[in-house]
Amino acid sequence: MFSYIIQRLLYGSLVILGVLIVVFFIFHALPGDPVAMMAGQRSDVSTREAIAKDLGLDKSLGDQFLLYLNDVLPISIHQNTLENESKYEYQKLVTLGESVLVIKVPYLRRSFQNHKLVSSILYEHMSGTFWLALTAMIFATVLGITFGVIAALKQNSFTDHFLVTTSILGISAPSFVVAILMAVLFGFYWADYTGLNLTGQLWVTHPMEGRQLEIKNIILPAFTLGIRPLSIIVQLTRSSMLDVLSQDYIRTAKAKGLSTRTIIFKHALKNALNPVITAVSGWLASLMAGAFFVELIFNWKGLGLISIKAVENLDFPVVMGCTLFIALVFIVINILVDILYAVVDPRVKLNH
Amino acid sequence: MSNNTETSFFDPRLLIVVQNLTVQFTNDEGTNIAIKNVDFQLYKGQILGIVGESGSGKSVTSLTILQLLNIPPAEIKTGKIWFNSRLKGWIDLIKLNRNEIIDLRGKEISMIFQEPMTSLNPVYTCGNQVAEALMLHEKINWKEAKTRSLELFSKVKLPQPERIFDSYPHQISGGQKQRVMIAMAISCKPALIIADEPTTALDVTVQATILDLLESIRTELGTSILFITHDLGVIAEISEEVMVMYKGKIVEKGLTLDVLANPQHPYTRGLLACRPKLDFKLKVLPIVSDFMATDQDGNISERRNGPFSSVGEAIFMNLITVDEINQRNKELVQQEPVLKVKNLKTYFPIGKGLFRNAKHFVKAVDDVTFDIYPGETIGLVGESGCGKTTLGRTLIRLVEPSSGSILYNGRDISSYKSTELRQLRREMQIIFQDPYSSLNPRMTIGEAIMEPMRIHNMLGSEKERKDRVVELLETVNLNGEHFNRYPHEFSGGQRQRICIARALALNPKFLICDESVSALDVSVQAQVLNLINYLKEKFNFTCIFISHDLSVVKFMADRIIVMNKGVIEELGFSEDIYNNPQSQYTRNLISAIPKGTVEDIRKAHKRRMEVKKL
Repeated sequence: MFSYIIQRLLYGSLVILGVLIVVFFIFHALPGDPVAMMAGQRSDVSTREAIAKDLGLDKSLGDQFLLYLNDVLPISIHQNTLENESKYEYQKLVTLGESVLVIKVPYLRRSFQNHKLVSSILYEHMSGTFWLALTAMIFATVLGITFGVIAALKQNSFTDHFLVTTSILGISAPSFVVAILMAVLFGFYWADYTGLNLTGQLWVTHPMEGRQLEIKNIILPAFTLGIRPLSIIVQLTRSSMLDVLSQDYIRTAKAKGLSTRTIIFKHALKNALNPVITAVSGWLASLMAGAFFVELIFNWKGLGLISIKAVENLDFPVVMGCTLFIALVFIVINILVDILYAVVDPRVKLNH
Repeated sequence: MSNNTETSFFDPRLLIVVQNLTVQFTNDEGTNIAIKNVDFQLYKGQILGIVGESGSGKSVTSLTILQLLNIPPAEIKTGKIWFNSRLKGWIDLIKLNRNEIIDLRGKEISMIFQEPMTSLNPVYTCGNQVAEALMLHEKINWKEAKTRSLELFSKVKLPQPERIFDSYPHQISGGQKQRVMIAMAISCKPALIIADEPTTALDVTVQATILDLLESIRTELGTSILFITHDLGVIAEISEEVMVMYKGKIVEKGLTLDVLANPQHPYTRGLLACRPKLDFKLKVLPIVSDFMATDQDGNISERRNGPFSSVGEAIFMNLITVDEINQRNKELVQQEPVLKVKNLKTYFPIGKGLFRNAKHFVKAVDDVTFDIYPGETIGLVGESGCGKTTLGRTLIRLVEPSSGSILYNGRDISSYKSTELRQLRREMQIIFQDPYSSLNPRMTIGEAIMEPMRIHNMLGSEKERKDRVVELLETVNLNGEHFNRYPHEFSGGQRQRICIARALALNPKFLICDESVSALDVSVQAQVLNLINYLKEKFNFTCIFISHDLSVVKFMADRIIVMNKGVIEELGFSEDIYNNPQSQYTRNLISAIPKGTVEDIRKAHKRRMEVKKL
């Protein structure tokens, strides 16, 4: 198991390297000039050159890539200066003349826009996305499995047809439409009854009481975000449950004299969950990466929102930082899911 | 209900009385009667065999007893199933409500199913699944249930009960799984065990041990067993009484000895005659329709003008004499071999490490050397996992060999380039086991047969190819009009014929039949085997016939290779292997086959009597 995780992490780092290369070159192929955006009105050549030099944009693309890679790698070589030491906060390993081989936390640079450290920007917005994604997925999983099981048990009844039709609707509705509808209906027109806000954060700073947890603000975005995974989980659970219920071992369980409840919840459900886990994990991973539209429409402070803004502003370090972080989230969640498979289904072995 | 007038006449030694049972299935296409007017009774401690082929209604009968049929589509039209319950006296199982029947299941009546591979829940340990039944019916706690389960595991002779208790079903062998199923079935000492083809999916040697086990459970616990199978040989081994079912009706009922030695119904005769025999070699296998005619309404009548009047006649009119066999064998080996296999090894790596360095291998084929002569049929026989299928596939490089050489007409096929390999595969065709999954359900059968011809650019035009397909369909006793039909419209036997036609489309010189008849009913199997033999003579191809069933292989093959754990145990002429086996493994394999002869039934009967005396 341990060697399996190490192996997966090694493969994962290759994925991250790939992501890094692709995003780096796509970003530099984008039209627009970050220097011009930062310089604004003052467009004299010397200012522009100074800014470009400051951001390292005067070097060739290849050099820029290598420098960025060196900054991101946890083991890297830097010039042995005090300035670097405070910038990277590294631990020296071996001194090589003027340079030094160091071990450090990946350095994601600072935002072009506001010179904040990218890592602290990520840290600041991570929790918003995390809680939103988690709430949405818990909501979708619990309801999805329940509805799926109900639909399977009452196959071809009205309830079944209703659930299947509704879930198709939920899968096909685009998230930006659903988000706007939700926001306008529940957060505006019916706000008097629901008591919900059009936009809002999980933590709100009141003038009097200070920082306050506002759980009701997460309801609308989480619900909106959960609709599609909910629909898919309903369908998956239903079909997988129907498949399992026709298996020989369910007949064995019946012949043993077990009650219907035991047969469904003990013998059928655990077998039916594998495809559902795949779906849940995939969605969780992509929601953790930030839900762009939903965050934008509900003005929810999360990774999705800052990614969109960073792309608009050609803020390379933030875009890169977000992308790498998202890739990392995907990899970690996938490893966790593989371990979960092995827990649910003993036939799955984690050794290749 | 015990004072019911209907049941007051029943012999108290009776356990179950089925009266006039009729079950039908209704679907979109109409109503289909699965079993009709079925009557039988079973005494306490008796084993009753039900024999029949697929669609005979034998499984429906057994599932109806425990109300395990899905209603609808099934519907019980008429009939009563009286069961002599330990606690409630005589009850009609059909009339019980859901809770009452659930109460009986596993406790007074339990079942063992055909497929041990799929009948255990893969995500719970074997111990958990047995203990679960105990905790439910005996109202005991987990600890007691575990002790009892371990006792049961030793009773069904499972090795290392402790280990099996904590094992998941996929971690143990098929035979062991069936033992776990039996342990589960006997856990609450039921009065009746319904065993639905409990040994069909198992190797013959394992089958023999499972039959012994069931027999000893009957003697020890006095349990009645309703034993369902398609194999008359198995019935001969285990049960004193047998009933033969055909298309939902009981066609013959009686003592096993009487029924097998002197079958009254033409269907039983046909069934007995069409099993390949081990002790004689036949030219053509008799088939059921040699004995029986069915009119349009499904009524069965005896064929008066059929080629044979009795099973014995059917055998003796078809016999190939020893001299004929010897003559053919002599001619065969005088030729230059068409295929020379030398030191062939096929290993599969397991437990790949971090850097893909395989430390262990499954030696599926381990250093195998043999020759194949033109026009001969060589049989590959062995238990599951012995490497026979891998060997077959390695020969046409569907699986790459690890080392060794395969010389085809003098050239090593491992050095073939991809174009040459395609040519090779055109000459060597393979027919797989499962006719249900080896045809693409979305392709008409005409297309399916035409596809290989198109790929290999055979015949000039589409028109010619189409004509060829019609010709092929007729060769395998199908109709040219079937061209535009889809596989699901055909029965298993017909599908296997389509697969044969597809293989023949390329005029192969070499045919590999990989368990090609194992999924078929005995009567259908006989037809397909006859067809392959006929085609072999007509097109004169060389054939490798792979099967776990020694009697089938012996019928088909000139020479037999017995494989065990990847190596050749024995190689020789069929008659020699059977009459004079050299290795212990082959001897075990032969002795485990239930032959269904009168002699065997007498022996089995005598054995049972002796056990009873003890």
